[in-house]
Amino acid sequence: MRDQSRAMHEPQTLSNPLGEELSTRRTPEPCVLVIFGATGDLTHRKLVPALYNLAHEGQLPSAFAVVGFARRPKTNDEFRAELKDGVEQHSRFSPINPAVWDAFAQGVVYYQAEFGDADGYVGLDKLLQQLDRERGTAGNRVFYLATAPTDFATIIEQLGAHHQNASARIIVEKPFGRSLATARQLNRVLAGVFNEPQVFRIDHYLGKETVQNILALRFANEIFEPLWNQKYVDHVQITVAESLGVEGRGGYYDQSGALRDMVQNHMMQLLSLTAMEPPTGLGAEDIRDEKVKLLRAIRPIAPARVQQISLRGQYARGSIAGKIVVGYRDEPKVAPDSRTETFVALRLLIDNWRWAGVPFYLRHGKRLPKQAAEIAIQFKAPPAVLFAAESTAPLQANVLVLRIQPDEGIAIRMNAKVPGTALNIQPVKMDFRYGGSFGARSPDAYERLLHDVIVGDSTLFTRDDEVECSWSVMDALLEGWQSSPAPFAYESGTWGPAEADALIEKDGRQWRRP
Amino acid sequence: MVVSGGDLDVMPNPTQLETFTAGVETAVDVPAIERQLRELWQLAAESEKDPSRRQITRACLFNLVVYCETDADRDHAAEVISALTSRHPCRAIVLLAKADRAQSELGASITAHCHLAGAGQKQVCCEQISIHASGESVEHLAAAVLPLLESDLPVVLWWNGVFLDRPERFRRLSAVSDHVLFDTSAWPEPEKRLNSLARVVVEAPHVRLADLSWTRLGLWRRLTAECFDEPHCREALAHIRRVEVTHGRGPGARLRALLCASWVASQLGWPPPDAAARIGLSTHEDNDTTSVGIVSVALKGDGVEVCVRKNHGERTASATVLVPNVCGLPRTRAFWPTDDASLLSQELDRAARHRVYERALTMAAALVPLQAGGARDSARRD
Repeated sequence: MRDQSRAMHEPQTLSNPLGEELSTRRTPEPCVLVIFGATGDLTHRKLVPALYNLAHEGQLPSAFAVVGFARRPKTNDEFRAELKDGVEQHSRFSPINPAVWDAFAQGVVYYQAEFGDADGYVGLDKLLQQLDRERGTAGNRVFYLATAPTDFATIIEQLGAHHQNASARIIVEKPFGRSLATARQLNRVLAGVFNEPQVFRIDHYLGKETVQNILALRFANEIFEPLWNQKYVDHVQITVAESLGVEGRGGYYDQSGALRDMVQNHMMQLLSLTAMEPPTGLGAEDIRDEKVKLLRAIRPIAPARVQQISLRGQYARGSIAGKIVVGYRDEPKVAPDSRTETFVALRLLIDNWRWAGVPFYLRHGKRLPKQAAEIAIQFKAPPAVLFAAESTAPLQANVLVLRIQPDEGIAIRMNAKVPGTALNIQPVKMDFRYGGSFGARSPDAYERLLHDVIVGDSTLFTRDDEVECSWSVMDALLEGWQSSPAPFAYESGTWGPAEADALIEKDGRQWRRP
Repeated sequence: MVVSGGDLDVMPNPTQLETFTAGVETAVDVPAIERQLRELWQLAAESEKDPSRRQITRACLFNLVVYCETDADRDHAAEVISALTSRHPCRAIVLLAKADRAQSELGASITAHCHLAGAGQKQVCCEQISIHASGESVEHLAAAVLPLLESDLPVVLWWNGVFLDRPERFRRLSAVSDHVLFDTSAWPEPEKRLNSLARVVVEAPHVRLADLSWTRLGLWRRLTAECFDEPHCREALAHIRRVEVTHGRGPGARLRALLCASWVASQLGWPPPDAAARIGLSTHEDNDTTSVGIVSVALKGDGVEVCVRKNHGERTASATVLVPNVCGLPRTRAFWPTDDASLLSQELDRAARHRVYERALTMAAALVPLQAGGARDSARRD
């Protein structure tokens, strides 16, 4: 299989003299995007609005079509009308430009079949060939698995059985397994049909501008990288806080939990981008190689250490923004005796030259006081000898905070003298806000990621070994938790269980208040 | 020389801060501009502690120096700056030069353009300093600008009018600029000035010059180029022998048609004499209410024809391709907005020098005398 299939066209080498200076982005080639699970929320809220935005910006190929593959009966017109509603609500270019929408919608087709029905794939093949003839899509395919994970293997195997793997790419939505073993199983199924360069595991966090900006901040500024190591950094805190609860996803979430839902994918991406070594280039493999090296350097977690370095919590009744909210166990479709964690705090160590001895504290929870995602680089405290006699308070360490969402930006805390005759030192904050400096709305993460798939750039997608490295860390925690007490309860609207404070305070540190 | 006095002679109060951030101009002494601004921002910072007041933050990514010679241009510039600063926060310094006035005067005013960064967020404000000079004081404008430039930030000079006619003022202001924007579509008889313009643009060593006429051609160039993007279409480029551009009679339309045709010629490596023979410009009585100046661009050759045509009554253009073995389907794209704020915004998003424009301009300048007989130009009416 590895040598048989061709991942659409190779990057272009001939240049178009008329295209000089017009765009720095690669030209997408004609293709059909087949969305499995096309009647779902993801298609309406994210995928098609992102495709429309790309059409609006002229970023789609000249010959392009979308096939919505799903089980429910529906006509093309009904499907297009539903998609249009979704675009009206969720596109950043609302109201819809009729000329752009009409041109885009002409290439949208609905196709009804069961995911496991072989005849359905025979019909799909005929439809795709018809689109090749009518819309010039040149035999190139992008398959998007926007279905429940339980359908992934069925669809992938059917695509292989019906020879849909040549000149194709496949996009897989998270979760990429629910353990190391199931992640490996999914990777094996994918590798049986597609080459790894054809596989795009999508983690929408990587499509966020501010996540991509971590690389720019680190490697496009000379002042930060020399300090980005164990000599100057005391510790790093990565926080992803949500004020929302499970929001109707109780059935899924109760089987998943915070570790699988957020930490294994999004937070490990933030960790690896923050801590990895400089890549040799900005190519997909250059960056992904460094991320994998970093993940491999995370100190293995022995079962006996799990309770020392991690903590689970589960939200109880409380109030968010003045409104009473129910506890997790009272959420619909959640077991009344559920032991699923909605809060995780972790202390990881990275055994490499750069980070030896620097703890990375990861914290994620639902029903916390506010929504906030940030990476805080806490520098070592300056020697106090110079100001100790004059100043009443100890000097605070510098902190560099990368705010991922909301209010994306970068802030640095430093010490300054308070005006006056006394030598009082006080921390001050310099704050750069994207919203204030770059007025344009950033493209949605899916917009960037879908374009990258169409042009074949896998830099912002997760590689098979990256997924497995991340799961090997999570597996150790999940195994250790099996024999540990139930998660600690915490009141909704607080920053998690009090025991989480103890996890960091025993190291002489404190959680930040984002 | 008279330096006019200002309304803000003492420490500003909250009312003056409200006036300033509401976009109302307040007269200030020229030497005191920086101090007055500093005190207003200091007051804004102190107001943050008062929950009854609007939360304000100042943003600045570059200096925008705008040169104008008429009140109408100055008023228009203020509107453009107000629209532009929500996307490109800057310190705007608007210069109004009236050299024909007998009395030598130099005065200034300040205001701010504020926008909400998002629902429930602070207002983001940008300063605008206006300096008006008349008589001999006009020659002191550059000196007045220098101390007002925010340090360590790029300087963008937007020149309203023909800078070739004001060589000394332009030299002094462009010397401190990183990026100069101008619009040949607003120039009288621009084709007669192409040679001089090409010399200035190509020879400017440290400054990027950008012509908004070129910016307006963005969609035409893009749609035309896209027809040859896919590898199997690219070889058709070698067969192109002729470029025909049809244009309306609006301001700068003919100049943009010439630039567009010159772009094709220079990018395909045609020498000027060949290009003169292969380029056809024609005028079309354009009654389209959504006119963008150019009506169509056609590239023709052996068995190849690519035509990009503006759709009548719509802000869109469509490209059709006739190439052996099919190179894609007809495609339609919407024109980007062509108001000055949008054009400036597009240019501010761009960091690199316009090498392609420089080549097209040089070609256009070479073609003007070759086409002087008008043999290649024709007028037609639908």
